[in-house]
Amino acid sequence: MSLFDSIKNALNENPFSGHYKINRMRPPGSVDEKRFMKLCVRCSRCVEVCPYDVVKRSTKTEYGEIGTPFIYAEEAGCHLCMKCTSVCPTGAIDPKVTEMEQTSIGIARINEETCNNYIYDRQESGEEADGMAALCSSCFNVCPLQHEAIRLENGLTPVITEKCTGCGLCVERCPTRPRSISIIPKDMPDAATAGYYHFLKRMGK
Amino acid sequence: MSRCRRIIQWFFFLLMFIVPALNMLEIYFIKGTYISMDVGELAVSDPLAVLQAVFASHEIKAVMIASVTLPLLIAVLLGRVWCSWACPYYLILDGIEALRKKLGLKPLKPVYSESGPSKANFFRYALLISGFILVGAAGVPLLYLISPPSVLSSQAVMLIKHFTLTAEFIFIPIVLIIETFFVYRFWCRFFCPTGTVLSIFKSSKGLRVEYSGSCSGCSRCVKACPMVLDPRKDGASSQCHNCGECVSICPDNRKTDTLKFRIK
Repeated sequence: MSLFDSIKNALNENPFSGHYKINRMRPPGSVDEKRFMKLCVRCSRCVEVCPYDVVKRSTKTEYGEIGTPFIYAEEAGCHLCMKCTSVCPTGAIDPKVTEMEQTSIGIARINEETCNNYIYDRQESGEEADGMAALCSSCFNVCPLQHEAIRLENGLTPVITEKCTGCGLCVERCPTRPRSISIIPKDMPDAATAGYYHFLKRMGK
Repeated sequence: MSRCRRIIQWFFFLLMFIVPALNMLEIYFIKGTYISMDVGELAVSDPLAVLQAVFASHEIKAVMIASVTLPLLIAVLLGRVWCSWACPYYLILDGIEALRKKLGLKPLKPVYSESGPSKANFFRYALLISGFILVGAAGVPLLYLISPPSVLSSQAVMLIKHFTLTAEFIFIPIVLIIETFFVYRFWCRFFCPTGTVLSIFKSSKGLRVEYSGSCSGCSRCVKACPMVLDPRKDGASSQCHNCGECVSICPDNRKTDTLKFRIK
């Protein structure tokens, strides 16, 4: 790993919450980003009601987002208890979303280059692969919708399905640095639209 | 009466910290901040919050209308009682005034002038309207970054839950320094968007200070009024927030009802 890469990694591990540029999601049930920014009155009610303390108030000022709620998946993922959906006074978080299956915060993407399970798989099949090879399967074990949102192909490699809610628990537990799994918030399916969330750009996809 | 008001003010001030603490203990009977609050099944929102969301997003939802009904009803019936009887920022200002008195500093309060109230009124309505135009243009409810009760209350949640304050708190020390050393209650008198929205709904039939027409003319009420009004003239004006300082200080009230609260 070059010096530049290690500096970049150190910056990604920034201890000041609110400065994560990737794996930053809205609370479950949020309407799309543009409408959310208009409707959210920064009342902190979702922050207050969250029993796991994962919904946090943004401190960044870009595009006037200061005070809006974010989940920083690298610190802690959303447990999908759906408490925050009922409290929003303006409907920025849709109160009709009450079941975890209904939510679509985003969708997880696995970086197959660095994922321990994928490296193990490649080494097993005789390919050249650098890095730690292990059957870690942390993302599979922690997923609230196991076997539905994520499954292990051949019992080895984790694969994300359409049912992924984007809660970010897998990101929280991923042992590699930088994380091999990230949440791509909804409506940002490819690198061109990823914008602020450069995980896709970093992966080059 | 001023004692009663002080107790209610402290109650609302402490409630700001108690509600998140209760939520951390998983007691969810009362939850929210002073921007929006749920008491049991009853949802209450600040009219300014809902108006901003409507202006920014161009949509009105049933939830929004339902939650502003109670505050607007209170505003119509009792006037701007939120400001003087509940607003946590107002309590801090009262504290600053008492502190200045204790330290023997010269009072900052300007002398009452005839044109003062109408000037202040013009200023704050112009600010509110331009604020709403800005909110509509930017599509972001910006006025909440400069509304002391909402900033205080949302920062109280951050303090209790995460032991941190976010950047918008910086606004509070800035205005407090101005309030302490330069201009007397300038935020409440000239700027506060929350108070201005509430004063739109203050009706002339609701709770107001009424003057019987003649008194000994000590003008103690004018000196006591925190909004720099003349209670004998401006009792029903939209700037009066029914704090009752003038009513409790008036010496003539002991003999006849000179300066009293009245409804209808």
